[in-house]
Amino acid sequence: MSTAFSTATTVDEALAALAGGARPVAGGTDLVVGARQGKALLPESLVAIHRVAELRGVEDVDGGLRLGPLATHAEVVAHRSVRERFTALADASAIVGSHATRAHGTIGGNLMNASPAMETGGPLLCLDATVSLRSATGTRAVAVGDLFAGPGSTVAASDELLVSVDLPPPAPGTGSAYVRLEYRRQMEIAVVGATAVVALEAGTVTGARLAITALAPTIRRVPEAEDALLGTTAEGGAVTAAARAAADGSFPISDVRASERYRKAMAEVIARRAIGVALARARGQDVPVPASGSHA
Amino acid sequence: MKVAATLRVNGVTYPVELEPGTSLLDAVRDDVGLTGSKEGCDDSECGACMMLLDGKPVNSCSYLALQAEGSEVTTVEGLANGQELSPLQSAFLEHGGVQCGFCTPGMLISATALLAESPSPTGDEVRIALSGNLCRCTGYDGIVTAVLAVAGAR
Amino acid sequence: MTAVEDEPGTFVRPDGREKVTGTGRYTADLTLTGQLHAAFRYADHPHARITRIDAAKARALPGVLAVLTHEDVPDVLYGGMVADRRLFARETVRFEGDIVAGVAAVTPELAREAAALVEVELEQLPVVTDFEAALATDSPLVHSDWESYEGDEELGRHHNVLGFSTIVKGDVDTALAAADVVVRGSYVTDPVQGVPIEPRAIVAQWQGHRVTVWSSTQVPYVARAGIARTLGIPESNVRVIVPLLGGGFGAKCDFHFEGHVAALARAAGRPVKLVFSRHEEFVAVGHRREGMVIELETAARSDGTLLARRARLVLDSGAYCGEGGFFAQMAAMHAHGPYELETVQIESSLVYSNNQPSSSIRAPTAPQVCWALEQHMDELAEALGLDPVELRRRTLIEEGSVTATGQVLERIAMKETLDRAVELIGGGDGLPEDEAIGVACGWWPCFAGSSGAYVTLNPDGTGTIVTGAQENGTGAVMAMPTYVADELGMRPQDFSLLYQDTDAAPWDAGSCGSQTTFNNARAVIAAAVDLREQLLDAASDKLEAAREDLELVSGSVRVKGSPEKAVSVAELAAEGTFHGKGAGEVPEAPVAPAEGCVGRLGNESFHAPQLIAHAAHVKVDRDTGVVRVLRVAAVHDCGRILNRAGADGQVYGGVVMGVGQALTEGTQLDELGRQRNPHLLDYKLITASDAPAIEIDWIETDTPNAGPKGSKGVGEPPCVPTAGAIANAIAKVIGARVRHLPMTPERVWEAGQ
Repeated sequence: MSTAFSTATTVDEALAALAGGARPVAGGTDLVVGARQGKALLPESLVAIHRVAELRGVEDVDGGLRLGPLATHAEVVAHRSVRERFTALADASAIVGSHATRAHGTIGGNLMNASPAMETGGPLLCLDATVSLRSATGTRAVAVGDLFAGPGSTVAASDELLVSVDLPPPAPGTGSAYVRLEYRRQMEIAVVGATAVVALEAGTVTGARLAITALAPTIRRVPEAEDALLGTTAEGGAVTAAARAAADGSFPISDVRASERYRKAMAEVIARRAIGVALARARGQDVPVPASGSHA
Repeated sequence: MKVAATLRVNGVTYPVELEPGTSLLDAVRDDVGLTGSKEGCDDSECGACMMLLDGKPVNSCSYLALQAEGSEVTTVEGLANGQELSPLQSAFLEHGGVQCGFCTPGMLISATALLAESPSPTGDEVRIALSGNLCRCTGYDGIVTAVLAVAGAR
Repeated sequence: MTAVEDEPGTFVRPDGREKVTGTGRYTADLTLTGQLHAAFRYADHPHARITRIDAAKARALPGVLAVLTHEDVPDVLYGGMVADRRLFARETVRFEGDIVAGVAAVTPELAREAAALVEVELEQLPVVTDFEAALATDSPLVHSDWESYEGDEELGRHHNVLGFSTIVKGDVDTALAAADVVVRGSYVTDPVQGVPIEPRAIVAQWQGHRVTVWSSTQVPYVARAGIARTLGIPESNVRVIVPLLGGGFGAKCDFHFEGHVAALARAAGRPVKLVFSRHEEFVAVGHRREGMVIELETAARSDGTLLARRARLVLDSGAYCGEGGFFAQMAAMHAHGPYELETVQIESSLVYSNNQPSSSIRAPTAPQVCWALEQHMDELAEALGLDPVELRRRTLIEEGSVTATGQVLERIAMKETLDRAVELIGGGDGLPEDEAIGVACGWWPCFAGSSGAYVTLNPDGTGTIVTGAQENGTGAVMAMPTYVADELGMRPQDFSLLYQDTDAAPWDAGSCGSQTTFNNARAVIAAAVDLREQLLDAASDKLEAAREDLELVSGSVRVKGSPEKAVSVAELAAEGTFHGKGAGEVPEAPVAPAEGCVGRLGNESFHAPQLIAHAAHVKVDRDTGVVRVLRVAAVHDCGRILNRAGADGQVYGGVVMGVGQALTEGTQLDELGRQRNPHLLDYKLITASDAPAIEIDWIETDTPNAGPKGSKGVGEPPCVPTAGAIANAIAKVIGARVRHLPMTPERVWEAGQ
């Protein structure tokens, strides 16, 4: 049971609390649910950061994007630049939980919870996002690809606070997509998910990123799948090869949600769909957000 | 150790003393004394506890009460204007949106949030928005019809 | 905006306003002065011998006022058709949710802490989780002392078999040998949970020798009997009140935890409240839809005539009988199905295991067996080269059909429901290749029984209906004022309802078996008629007119043809005492000789059967196995429909429950019989965005032996054939059968490989 609670209104206040051993809470969704289910007790000391104004917002920065960790999924989906240029992230934020989850659940909370099934991780990874972790002694930048240490853990130290998530400008001709296997249309948790980011120049793939979600202990990119697309015109054979590589690069488990065999087979299907939507978007086609549920 | 705080629920300010881990749902039901919001699950899956926090829907079972200090909380008890039911409340009754009624408080809150944000939703948008609220009785048909009736009426 | 209940001509369910304003009280919303909180210590292991229980540490915890084990309550066995269970396990625990101890403490947290402090030492026993294997005579026994239990002789109990029923007619072997076509199929179903959105709650308070128990039960009189039996007190010392009930679907039938909470309250000398978590709703409630193994074999002539059916059914009773003792026979009747069969041999076994106990969930046994049988019928149609709808038209029951148990069916509209469902869903031609339409048919009986009610008048001319009936949300009780108002020429809103209080009204079976309108409306109408006679007598004196010349219209008794010669009901009520009482005559069940059948528990004949046809239009993602149900047409013969909006509401909800059973709802067990998905994230209910568009129609027939005004039941049948219709549509798309329910994406994908 928590014994101490404070509310920070500035980053400095929050950092002071973290230095004193407190854990940050933003929307609280994962933290409180975990405690109620008995998975993890609430931390002894909590600092609420939801009123720290400087941690809010989604803004365009020189063609790139800066997300405050308190940006909610609803805000992310609603942002025009996200939908137009960082579409995979919009695909992901649009399908997190329910509309109540999206109204209060934050990008920062989602990211720092480091679930291998989290929706936004794959897009942030493939869009080359970097997070800024600040402590009383300074700020360091960590690529999202280096952030996840394992299921439910990150490389952030206990006195470090996530203060921003920065996405560089995508290359011209980039399209991206996040696709999740969905047993239901809403209220799902990823059993299999895939993110694809492709850049086309005169019909040739000049940039490719592919990440798989819920198929390994952490969300991870599959370089073999990316290589299968690079330099090709992304016709059927290359896409199939990339999707197969994504499946080969997955190490799923069998659990209550699916068997290893099914997950592995779906890794290929879902990767193929993510690549298909990303390519379609790169070619200027308007594939609605979220991409999940569409059969590209 | 309990923390003194004030919660503003349906326009009324309540002084409360809460353990830091107390959920907004428990605080409103047990400390404020409004039992309209329901607890139906352990994992934020059913939506029976849904409230508005500064106008936005929140599963109050998984939101810390102390974080709501300084915000306006609205529960199902705050939807009617005195004795006059809100249009959604009336429409739920008129269109078969209420059977056992246990999901109804959260469902009404959810629908209220939707119409505030999107006054003329399509049927599918209503269904997507209400997917965080499980109902076992109605098959959702009467609920969706009620929401669309209110949306169409304004 | 005007409140709808104030608009003339509209009748809103009397509990509507409190439900939309949040002012209604459900059991968990009640708080009594001095109230304590209860928590249970569960076995957590499916099969073990208890070698030691030590509650000393729990009792020593400050704030704990009572800790109870089997030693602290009378040693009484209870159960439906077999008394096989104690409030607190004594020597043996038989499923993970068996209760070993109960605690009452000043906060819920302390109660849980104390429950964890009860020291329980277990010696593991072999776990019987494969219920089909439990049939074997060398299987470990779930109840080693089963022979000593008090139970219904007709069940045919033996070893782990709790119930055995057969339907036998003619010589199946000879018929099979002579047939043009024989199809066989095997099917397996996972257990399914009721999942009312309200987790159960109970509050108990003693005053002297009497206990009042507020409980979220569908069956308050059954709960009262259970408390009286297990605590050894007369029923007159027990009052059960049901506040608003947040759904049941069968899961809140039977006596479950009221005895524990009453015992804790007595021991603590304080009111005690129990509120279940969702986890406990899954794991501790001994009340789920049973898993089954179903083997079917049907022989037909080339014209479709059904020459023979052989079936073998094994049903998982789980650890205890509960009120599911009749399941073997009921499942057998659904393996027969609403078809004309020349020869039949169905064997159905209900078997103990160390799994969660099974009991009635909405139309118990029917959805699973129907899902299997209706796939089997489509397979037969394919083998015969017949359209599935045409095969059903040729073989479904109709007036004059004789079932294999010998019941001669009276007027029914089985074929008409099918034709109408097919008409509503439209043709399957021209659909994209990943979409298809499937149909399925089913049946379900009415349950006639006693019930009683009073109707009294207040001095201002309004009145009160006092009924033992139980409202679980369907609106069946909420419609009672309309029937009374019809008899008395008054308005429904003139009547208040006093219901679900065992001290107030005569016994009623509760909200189970779709019986509320069938039995209690009969009683309520009889009470209203009794009251009407009293009003006519009084008005006859007052108006000096012959009784037969009087009519009740618009709140007055008046002379026919001379509306100015009238006296208002209010005037009469102010001058006298008027109270009607009624029970009505329970209609007699039809006769079925059921010669050669064993395990005859009363369901060998189906009283006023309800007939159901569903057609489902589905879309299958063949790469992933994900199925979306786009549309369902649901047509029912439930006799005369008294309350169309209420009846439609049952179908909307039932179909969506059926979609869940078909696609996403299934409890998974580990090798020790423990639940792997006891939470709503992984036990997936259908959400608003997954629910299909549903078109409903009713074929209203005049049914002999029907309920009041020609009605039959409505509530249970809507979830019966939905899964079968969906399964048949899936098979059309993927060209293969999914033989395991629920038909999850993975299973659909596997079948299509």
